[in-house]
Amino acid sequence: MSATAADEKHPLELEGARVSVKKPEVRYDVQGEMSEAERVARAMQNFVKDFGRTAAIYMESCIHCGMCAEACHFHHVSGDPRHTPIWKLEPFKQAYKREYGPFAWIYRTLNLKPKVTVAELAEWQELLYDTCTVCGRCSLICPMGIDIASLVSQARHGMFQAGLVPHELWAVAERGAREGSPLGATPKVFADRVAWLADDHEIDIPLDKPKADVVVTMSSIEIMKYPDSIVATARILNRLGVDWTFRTDGYEATNFGLLSGNTAWQKKMTMKLIDAAIAAGAKTVVLPECGHAYTALRWMGANMLGRPLPFEVQHIAEFLADNIRSGKLRLKKVAKSVTFHDPCQIVRRGGAVEAPRIVLEALGVELREMEPAKGLNWCCGGGGGVVTIHRADRLRYKVYQLKMEQIEKTGAELAVTTCANCRQTFDDGQAHFKSEREMGSLLELVAENLSDGE
Amino acid sequence: MDLLAFARGPGMQWATAIFVAGVLWRLVGVALLRRKPDLSAPRVAAKWKGLRLIVLRSWPRKEFLGGTAFTEVMGYVFHIGFLVALFFYLPHVLFFADVAQGLLGVTFKGVFGVAWPTLPGGIIYFASAVSVAALIAVLVHRLVNPVKRLISNFDDYFSWFVTIAPIATGMAAYSHIGAPYQTLLALHLLSVELLMVWFPFGKLMHAFTIFAARGSTGMLFERKGATL
Amino acid sequence: MNPAKTIGERLAEAGVSRRAFLKFCTALASMMALPPAAGPAMAQAIATRERPSVIWLPFQECTGCTESITRSHTPTLESLIFDLVSLDYQETLMAAAGHQAEAVLAAAMKENFGKYLLIVDGSVPLVEDGAYSCTAGRSNLALLKEAAQGAAAIICVGTCSSYGGIPRAAPNPTQAVPVSAVVKDRPIVNVPGCPPIPVVITGVLAHYLTFGNLPELDPLGRPKAFYGETIHDRCYRRPFYDQGRFAKTFDDEGARSGWCLYELGCKGPVTYNACATLKWNAGTSFPIQSGHGCLGCSEPDFWDRGSFYRPLAAADWGSAKTVGAAAAAGVALGAAAAWAARRRQDRFVKEAAAPADRKPEG
Repeated sequence: MSATAADEKHPLELEGARVSVKKPEVRYDVQGEMSEAERVARAMQNFVKDFGRTAAIYMESCIHCGMCAEACHFHHVSGDPRHTPIWKLEPFKQAYKREYGPFAWIYRTLNLKPKVTVAELAEWQELLYDTCTVCGRCSLICPMGIDIASLVSQARHGMFQAGLVPHELWAVAERGAREGSPLGATPKVFADRVAWLADDHEIDIPLDKPKADVVVTMSSIEIMKYPDSIVATARILNRLGVDWTFRTDGYEATNFGLLSGNTAWQKKMTMKLIDAAIAAGAKTVVLPECGHAYTALRWMGANMLGRPLPFEVQHIAEFLADNIRSGKLRLKKVAKSVTFHDPCQIVRRGGAVEAPRIVLEALGVELREMEPAKGLNWCCGGGGGVVTIHRADRLRYKVYQLKMEQIEKTGAELAVTTCANCRQTFDDGQAHFKSEREMGSLLELVAENLSDGE
Repeated sequence: MDLLAFARGPGMQWATAIFVAGVLWRLVGVALLRRKPDLSAPRVAAKWKGLRLIVLRSWPRKEFLGGTAFTEVMGYVFHIGFLVALFFYLPHVLFFADVAQGLLGVTFKGVFGVAWPTLPGGIIYFASAVSVAALIAVLVHRLVNPVKRLISNFDDYFSWFVTIAPIATGMAAYSHIGAPYQTLLALHLLSVELLMVWFPFGKLMHAFTIFAARGSTGMLFERKGATL
Repeated sequence: MNPAKTIGERLAEAGVSRRAFLKFCTALASMMALPPAAGPAMAQAIATRERPSVIWLPFQECTGCTESITRSHTPTLESLIFDLVSLDYQETLMAAAGHQAEAVLAAAMKENFGKYLLIVDGSVPLVEDGAYSCTAGRSNLALLKEAAQGAAAIICVGTCSSYGGIPRAAPNPTQAVPVSAVVKDRPIVNVPGCPPIPVVITGVLAHYLTFGNLPELDPLGRPKAFYGETIHDRCYRRPFYDQGRFAKTFDDEGARSGWCLYELGCKGPVTYNACATLKWNAGTSFPIQSGHGCLGCSEPDFWDRGSFYRPLAAADWGSAKTVGAAAAAGVALGAAAAWAARRRQDRFVKEAAAPADRKPEG
């Protein structure tokens, strides 16, 4: 299938409240031509392929207490026991026992854990993709301390290689690997957009400087849907007088290889960023307002490269916080009450808990925290690729309501976050429920309130 | 050889051997698996501080308490009842003392200066009864709660059985209900041996793996500064 | 000796009053857990019966059992028992010796063939056709086989004849066995104990005289009336066990206060005998009362069940050696499993290296 054919088959939808492929009339949730046996074998093998000691000890430790269900937003709104986080791994728990665990030989010889079937795996597609944002809230409740979310990611490795990825997620991931961006933000589109924005806003946006201290990256959601982020970023960095650049050989920070479970694509996407930063001799790579981009480069990048990264990786909020703390960045006070939505990958799982709050403090807003907030927050429901999947909408909107109630309860005038995927999930949710409230960008809020006092 | 002689002799010897071999098999089998080093730059250098999760996770955060209180409380009750009976009933203590003497050549008193304390039979009996009641409650919960019922398998029910059996037979032996003492004692020992034999192969292994799992997650998360 | 007279007549001749005899029978009845009304019935039954002939054969034994019976604590019992039965052969007690004694034995066995009670103390060695224990040139084994043929029933007095006892203790060089291993076709009552309580022996005899059959037995062939409960169940120190008060050494405060001896190795909880109720030496005391734990001497293989001073709970879990071997095996298996898992993983990595970008097809 040529690139054009793929585009025809999976046309992008960039005008709506969320960016994804258009709602498919016929779903192709099974990819590739393989015998059922091969599909199952690939699922099992790719699941345990990257297994290590830690994942194994998790697999050995579950006591089936069912408490993780309490933490999961999908289970919370559906009440469906199948949405219990650890149950989402059931076929893969069997695979682990049969293929990899210390008693694997016994399990295989006595056939105690029968091989899973393609039908089972197909059934689990919904559980592993549609109803899991890999937000990791369940990982905080597990009395055994199992990081369930990390296991879901591993299970997706198996699902991808078995050709069992939801239609839309597969399509955007494939496009990402092929074109360099899952949502059509190809290097040419990006360069055009940067040029157009620079003209439009009469602002200097450096692109493809051969050398720069700071290489800044963007998410395709921002490029295609929230281009103001690009302007905001440029405005702040220029104000700080940083030697920075965007690079067309490494700008796309989203990583649908990671979300869909294709480790080769994940590596390919990550290596573009790393290679570009190394080529520019960057001291710092700034990641955009995107959750999983932080996981992909900040925490997994060095492991893709095979050695520690020769530069620092910062989420834009961390970058802003650092410059606020050092006094370089001064902001005007915003006399408003604000609530902050913690993006799971950046805050709960990424550890950048305080940075966005430092920024908000500098803005002088009245911060009204949600209940619960920070690491315990409820996920917006759109992460982990879920927002791309039309099939997942019905439940995702219910999850979204949970989040929305939380926000309304704070009574804050503004709601901001620092993840473009969360933002589009909110936009989509608000459009669905025909509500007015907007989810703002922390980055843009900062850019709008740069102090002129210098 | 009568039942008791078997339970006290060969039965106990085999159970001990299987327990020791099985536990090590499983632990070593996991410990020697690959572990790729994490090359990312840590946010918190002292990642070992994350080991506090081993203690921290012993009680759920208040945000989670609502739906988990029953499981948590019942879990604590049956564990404590079980452990009180296991570690503070004189015959058990004497058994462990014998094992310590045989394996390490030490006595508790010799090392710590004071004898391992024991509790009167009545208290042990009460603790056992409470434990049995809580175990029955968790079984009922497992059967009626949709989540637990769905995710349960043979391991869950059998592990439940081999846990309650030693307590129940121990109580029967203590109060001489149902059969001659020697028979009850033999059944008690055999049920303990069943527990020991099943232990390494089922979920009871969480008694050991809980520390490794919590510790691993704690260190991984602490390294990132992620929420523990 | 003329067995034609009834026991009643003989008792009268011996000057035993009917009242004294009735009292004896009532005491026996209560010991055997029979209802009180059984006493007079017993007296009636016994008095009108002829004295049965009793042949007592000692095999591999220490004479402790005989010593025990001569110390019967019911004052008149010693005499009574010899009035109740015609003890035709008992090497230790009889006056005759040598050929004379052998002739008595032969005569008793012949005259009362099929009717005599055979009492045996001591185990029977099997090695070298039983050459390890002989009387008048005949092995115990041969004598037992012959004597058993004419016996109405066999009463095994002591743990040796009941279960092999100390001669049978490991390594059992004489291949000692209990009577029940040699004789299969005669009713056998085991009265174990090292030695057994004297009144238990007389109780069994009285039962036989009264009812003409053997008392109800437990699975180990012991009369339930005397061996139905453990020492522990009836021990006067039991409350201390329940309260968790234990003597830690034989000379500590606990020991002086009469606390439970469980920790010092008492085998009371697993020993079925009547010591705690009937006691010894005219009801004076029994081992635990005298400050020493029960040895469990009436149980099979009691000599080989670990130290008498090792607490019962210290089961035979093995040794540092066996546990070490198990640990080594576990580590080896774990290492092998991890190695196999790594190899499988390598294979999977290779197989997964196949191109990954597959096209979606319906």
